Amino acid sequence: MINVLNTHLYAQTITLFRYFMLGIVNRRLFGLLGILLLVAFLASGFVFELAIINSAQIASALMGDFLRYSFVLLALLMIVSNVAEDFESKQFGRLFTMPIARWQYIFAQILLIGCVAFILSIATLIVLLPGISFELALYWSTALCMEIFLVGLLGLIAILSLEKIPQAVFFTLAIYLLAKLSELIRQMLSYAVEYSDSSAANQFAEAIFNFILNIIPRLDAFAQNDLFFKSTGLLEALILQSQTVAVYAIFLITVSLVDFYRKEINQ
Amino acid sequence: MRSSERPLAELPRPLLFAFVLAFGVQVLMHQSNVTKASKEYRPLGKPFDAQVYARLSIGSRRLLSYLLSIRLQLHDNQAGRHVRYDQIDYLVLIEWLSQISQLNRQSEYPMMLASRIYTQTQDKPRLRSLLVFIDDQFAGQPQLHWRRQAEAILMAKHKLGDLELALEMAKRLADQPDTVQMPHWARDMHFLLLSDLNEFEAAILVVQALLKSGSITDPDELRYLKSKLSDFQQKLSETKQNR
Repeated sequence: MINVLNTHLYAQTITLFRYFMLGIVNRRLFGLLGILLLVAFLASGFVFELAIINSAQIASALMGDFLRYSFVLLALLMIVSNVAEDFESKQFGRLFTMPIARWQYIFAQILLIGCVAFILSIATLIVLLPGISFELALYWSTALCMEIFLVGLLGLIAILSLEKIPQAVFFTLAIYLLAKLSELIRQMLSYAVEYSDSSAANQFAEAIFNFILNIIPRLDAFAQNDLFFKSTGLLEALILQSQTVAVYAIFLITVSLVDFYRKEINQ
Repeated sequence: MRSSERPLAELPRPLLFAFVLAFGVQVLMHQSNVTKASKEYRPLGKPFDAQVYARLSIGSRRLLSYLLSIRLQLHDNQAGRHVRYDQIDYLVLIEWLSQISQLNRQSEYPMMLASRIYTQTQDKPRLRSLLVFIDDQFAGQPQLHWRRQAEAILMAKHKLGDLELALEMAKRLADQPDTVQMPHWARDMHFLLLSDLNEFEAAILVVQALLKSGSITDPDELRYLKSKLSDFQQKLSETKQNR
């Protein structure tokens, strides 16, 4: 009996996921993907021509970073607009009249984020392979898959809480950039404390920032571009990243579940 | 919202004309400023500290170091024209090279720019400051920069005409321990420069020390050193006879 129920819930979640996928995978996505890949090729080809030494490595690293940021943004927009459509068309009201649990909606969205991250990382792998070793291309695409997955989860929380696309996108990008620039901000704050003779206001700001750091992803949760120039320790970097991403992803999933269960949905 | 707007054709003609005129004047004015600015040499601005670049790189520290190097490489080419090297402030240039080197300690790019591109200046004080910079960087990372040091020695000798500086740099190159791997010709520059300065006694001592050290096992190199030794000994005796 329990098995039948589990299978039914599983089938429902998969159906929801397939429904979401239909909303995302369309001709426009592949067109946009094609444009981004073309721009990446042109930009890295230009730098390849300019560089006097290490041309291939510099071009590959630039292509890797260009694809990283454009794919992160693309995935974020897709996920956020997908959930925003449900809010705008009052889809939740209709959806939850059916015997579907809220966690199923969240898990279908997580499957969607994973799928989007996987598709984009496969595109990255194919594009990078001619220029770099298979191991490095595999590392970068896997690391990028995890990075997109993480940003996608952040976007999911943002859109579930804020319900509007611009706010959700800006909030997610702010968290993403804050995580990436955390070292710079930390350094600025420590200098501010030092030069202001340890003033209470600056110490307070530093303490607040140190607290915020606890709830944003660490730098090792992201793909390490420096490895394009030193292809050793790929596996170690990947293991470290997967540990950080796993812990942070579980945290984000629980936050999104709490937030979604608290939401009043008008039937 | 859009459907409630009136078509442009229905607007008063003078208003449309004023809009097009104002737009045209604005674009022309901007373009004339851009053209004027692009013809003038734009000097290098001072770089930030390497630490700041490292933090700003958002995890792509090495890539940023290479992109900054390429940006510096292109500085001598502005608006499609080559900039004379004596227009460039070499103190700021060296500051840039130094910060980029600190940003990525494994990169040869800034040193390559120093030894191959910016040593093309005809201005001797500028060239000297660059060679001193290369020498300093070599002292910090001899294995990575021995090629640039060798190139700088040749520049000091032939372009700057400062044999003393070339000798000093060559001595530093030759004095590196065996753990620093480089071809024999690089270490040989020291005694060759000594002979150029007619310091045959010192050159003989250096070659003899090399032969006795046992570090040279290549038969061709051994033959070369022995031939140089006899050459220097002959020149020394000739010099003594001429006195």
